[in-house]
Amino acid sequence: MLEKLSENVMDKVSIDYVRNQVLKNAYGNDDTPIAALDPRVLIVWYLFFGIAPWFMGSVPMLLAMFLFTAVTTRLARVAPLVLVIFAVGVFAQTGYMFVAALVFGGNADTLTPLLVLTLKVASCSLASITVFSGLDPDRLSSGLLWFGFPERLSFSISFAYRILPIMMEELQNILLSFRLRGRAPAHDTLLGKLRWLVYQVKTIVQSFYPLMLNMAKRSRTTVEALELKGYRYASANPDVLKIRLSSLAVGSNDAVFIAASAAYALFCLALPALLEVL
Amino acid sequence: MSVTSAEQTAQSHKLMVFVLSMSLYGLATLVSELIPSVQVGIVEFSVEFFLFIPLTLAMLFDPLSVALGAATGELVFSEIMLGQFGGIGEVEKFLTVSIAVYLAGTVVHDPRNLKLVGVAAFGATALQLAMSAGVDILKVVFAVEEFEAVPGLPESVFFTEGFAAVNDLLFSGILFCLLPTLFLVPRLYGKIEPLLGMKPRTPENAPRPVVGRLAAASVALFVVAAGAACLSEAGMSIVEWEADWAGDMQAIFVGLLVAVVIALVACYCLFRSAKLSRA
Amino acid sequence: MPIISIHDLTFTYPGAEKPTLRNVDLEVAEGDFLAVMGANGCGKSTLCKAINGLIPQFIAGDLSGSLVVDGLDAPTVSIGELARHVGYVYQDFENQLVRPTVLDEASFACLNYAQPDYVERGMRALELCGLSERARDYVWSLSGGQKHLLALAGALALEPKVIILDEPVAQLDPLHAHQTYEVLRDLNERFGKTVIVIEHHTDFIAEFCRHAVLMNGGAVSWVMPARDALRQLDDLRASDIYPPQIAQAAQELKDTGILDAAVPLPTTVDEGVGAFAGIPFHAAGAPGVSASSSDEPAVAFKQVCVAYRSVKGDPVTVFDQLDLTIHAGEKVALVGSNGAGKTTLMKLMCGLVKPTSGTVALAGASTRELAPEELSDRVSLVYQNPEQMFIKDTVRADIEFAMRARGVDGRRDRAQALIDRFRLHDLADRDGRLMSGGQMRRASLAIGIALDPPILLLDEPTANLDIATRREIVRTVADLRGITDTVIIATHDMQLVCQFADRVIVLDHGRVIGDGTPDEVFQDRRVVEASGIRPPEIFRMAHALDPGAVCYDIEDFLMCFDGYRALALAAAEDAPAGDGEQEPGCLDERRLAFHA
Repeated sequence: MLEKLSENVMDKVSIDYVRNQVLKNAYGNDDTPIAALDPRVLIVWYLFFGIAPWFMGSVPMLLAMFLFTAVTTRLARVAPLVLVIFAVGVFAQTGYMFVAALVFGGNADTLTPLLVLTLKVASCSLASITVFSGLDPDRLSSGLLWFGFPERLSFSISFAYRILPIMMEELQNILLSFRLRGRAPAHDTLLGKLRWLVYQVKTIVQSFYPLMLNMAKRSRTTVEALELKGYRYASANPDVLKIRLSSLAVGSNDAVFIAASAAYALFCLALPALLEVL
Repeated sequence: MSVTSAEQTAQSHKLMVFVLSMSLYGLATLVSELIPSVQVGIVEFSVEFFLFIPLTLAMLFDPLSVALGAATGELVFSEIMLGQFGGIGEVEKFLTVSIAVYLAGTVVHDPRNLKLVGVAAFGATALQLAMSAGVDILKVVFAVEEFEAVPGLPESVFFTEGFAAVNDLLFSGILFCLLPTLFLVPRLYGKIEPLLGMKPRTPENAPRPVVGRLAAASVALFVVAAGAACLSEAGMSIVEWEADWAGDMQAIFVGLLVAVVIALVACYCLFRSAKLSRA
Repeated sequence: MPIISIHDLTFTYPGAEKPTLRNVDLEVAEGDFLAVMGANGCGKSTLCKAINGLIPQFIAGDLSGSLVVDGLDAPTVSIGELARHVGYVYQDFENQLVRPTVLDEASFACLNYAQPDYVERGMRALELCGLSERARDYVWSLSGGQKHLLALAGALALEPKVIILDEPVAQLDPLHAHQTYEVLRDLNERFGKTVIVIEHHTDFIAEFCRHAVLMNGGAVSWVMPARDALRQLDDLRASDIYPPQIAQAAQELKDTGILDAAVPLPTTVDEGVGAFAGIPFHAAGAPGVSASSSDEPAVAFKQVCVAYRSVKGDPVTVFDQLDLTIHAGEKVALVGSNGAGKTTLMKLMCGLVKPTSGTVALAGASTRELAPEELSDRVSLVYQNPEQMFIKDTVRADIEFAMRARGVDGRRDRAQALIDRFRLHDLADRDGRLMSGGQMRRASLAIGIALDPPILLLDEPTANLDIATRREIVRTVADLRGITDTVIIATHDMQLVCQFADRVIVLDHGRVIGDGTPDEVFQDRRVVEASGIRPPEIFRMAHALDPGAVCYDIEDFLMCFDGYRALALAAAEDAPAGDGEQEPGCLDERRLAFHA
């Protein structure tokens, strides 16, 4: 039964699925309210919502922050896989302690600090997911460029989104070659399972040999094309930066977003006092 | 003309290597991000599973471009693309990985010398792990003011961190860095360079680092890395160890923080637009 | 005034013993549409990269002589300056695209050169290439043909006077290749751009180009008007270029005195109609390919539905309720334009894609129930891109890999036998990726049949190959008729279809719209039009002369001429004596290939 389940899960988490999810996350949500915002506004927004929760100690305050970032994440229509990774990440950092304490009958004194910590980690992560997954790559890189991050980083982001589907497909085909032509050891016994694991790891390592050579072939054309397209001139020419950044504009949507966020943040800060009054 | 052309060729090679290293290591970290970290008992495999990729490339090509490419690739593919950006704490990983890869690449003068390749790969892993462990220890020291005063704390921190580092080194250092690098370097040597239009590395044309400056730069970068890591930890620890803060106090503190951030950003905006309009 | 004038240009790559370009002299008139032909390694690409300044400024080497492009001294002026005068599209154009979205890619160069109206310029270039509708789309969602046009748009955005394309049709199916050439013709005729293509598909040269230059060993052999150039049969063959079949047939008719020696050799179907007019031509029965199939189904598709997850919106349906049976021993060709579902069908057969509903059965066993390793004992797939077949560091290790994993006895001998069979002796210990296109292809076929699978699937075995290598691979594939039982080929190459298949399945948007022998399919006008397949040139020529004619190769075609048939019959009777008349080489070789 468990075997069947794990096989089923393995089938779902195929590299094909991963590729689809990553693409979905990168490109599938460019028409959301979050993606329409000015990248600079979102980056500043992240500076606050990604840091402020660390300085909060009260549970209601953090809960309110968490809810808010959860809503923005929902608005950004992030791919399910990213949320799964987020959940696993939070659990691995602090969540497991919280659950353990709960199971072993921890009292409020032990539970509260753990809950606080978990909420902090979760809200900060969600804020980063909202901004980095919600923005489409090009606007994100323009935004970073505006803040003076190196041009090389901004190019890398755009290029990464371009090359990712190609590389995923290449890796997928190479792994398939291994899978079809190779023969994985049977994994019925414990020893077999260990051998199977070793085999899988070995396959992944070996598949980088063909991948490296194939990518090397490609990157030569890419760099020549970049030269022809004047990429090197652009990095030395401030006019280019100016032209590029002139497309960024803060509109009324951004103002509404900032106002709403600021109002909500104030509400969060006032929350413990409000509760006291009630 | 010949001088500028040679320089330009070197530039283009560096860009090629950067692109190659960024995309390969980026993809690898993306994949490893998707494999949840394995925990067996108290032994956690917090492994840089794919460090062998930049290590191999650094031994064959320009180490600096490989190091920067690998660090950028990790940042872009696994942090930004998946939205798992951990804030300023990422700086630590960025720098420790770059330093380790760069050093490994410069040490190997001749990739055909397998002994050297092995030592460099293992050494780089050890260096990277030692740096992370050092940063972790510093974090605790920084966070707990009465570090020495808490009985047993220094010993237990040093022990657990040291144990984790040694465990990682033996396990991941050998399985994921040493063996794959020894497998890949001789196979790729002489094959991958012509694809990029370069000559294979020999002792004559190997990159020669300026030792003194290199060491100084490494130390400086390590300090920055440690600082960044501590900073990222600061928020968490302050609240944890000073739990008796009053609610008002906290609100004021947060208010201050907000003000500071907004002020900083506003200043920066002014500076930036001034610079742009001058350009 | 010539827009490009090259005088005494010699270039040597660093470390190379011989120069790649030797004393090249060439002038290209403004507004010309020029084809550059030549065997592999004759310096075509090197010449073109010298024209756009990559050589010697980006790719180092020793250069002498002069090269003036649009009044600029190409070797010294900066690459960026030159890029506004010369646009370049690579053969592996996919790697040339560096931005995530279409409009972004098209306007990237303009942005880099700080042109404030970069978006408008990019948009204009997209309009020229017919891509304006997709401006907001992501690059990866485009088809191969559209990506090629996008690469062209990216080069056009800077409004260069000269555009150079390296083998524009090599990676495209015939339909898209035609579209690209139509765009190029438009640019040439309406906008006065000078177009230079590196090309060896003579049918495209005949139809679109004005002039052609032949390069040989780094030097220019000659420059001629395109049609005249294609009549230089001997020169072309010497450079591994396959001359138009019609010209070859006409030459043979001239040699045998059936066609008047004064008539210029025809190079296209239209010219052929004029040249062959008045010569008695009667359709002969096509040489039926002997079918050796049994009734036993090798692969059975039952009500198969396949849908892919898409990045945005609903899943994309590829197949809906597909029913299809392939019998053991059949040699099947799958044809249809890109996106018709050929590759998905192959992936279904080797279990890489599982049907959403319905079953795919291999000799009775459903692919769902077979483990991947079990599947690979029954069926083997050779990818379109042979590089992805190489996972070890030598070809020998790759051939042995699957047998070693299964502990097959005598694998060394079998690997050696395959190496001999596919003529890989000298290459067996090299890395597959570092070989030439044809060698890679041969090696990938050897890897594919290493396990001696009962079913062999080949995805586009002749794509991206120059004509000479393509013929070699066609021959190798034809050889497989004797070895492997059931072979299924997905291809655009109708020459290959004619020489190999005894059953052709035509796919269009996931439906089977034609299924039968090559004769049946090619003569069904509805199927030919709906699927966009182009029968071989010689088939169309014969068809134009006599609508009932079915000819797949030059010999079939020649035999339809009453005069030639009489001569051939006479020659067959006193066999050794008549040989002097026959042109050696090409025809005999081809005949061998056909009967193999």
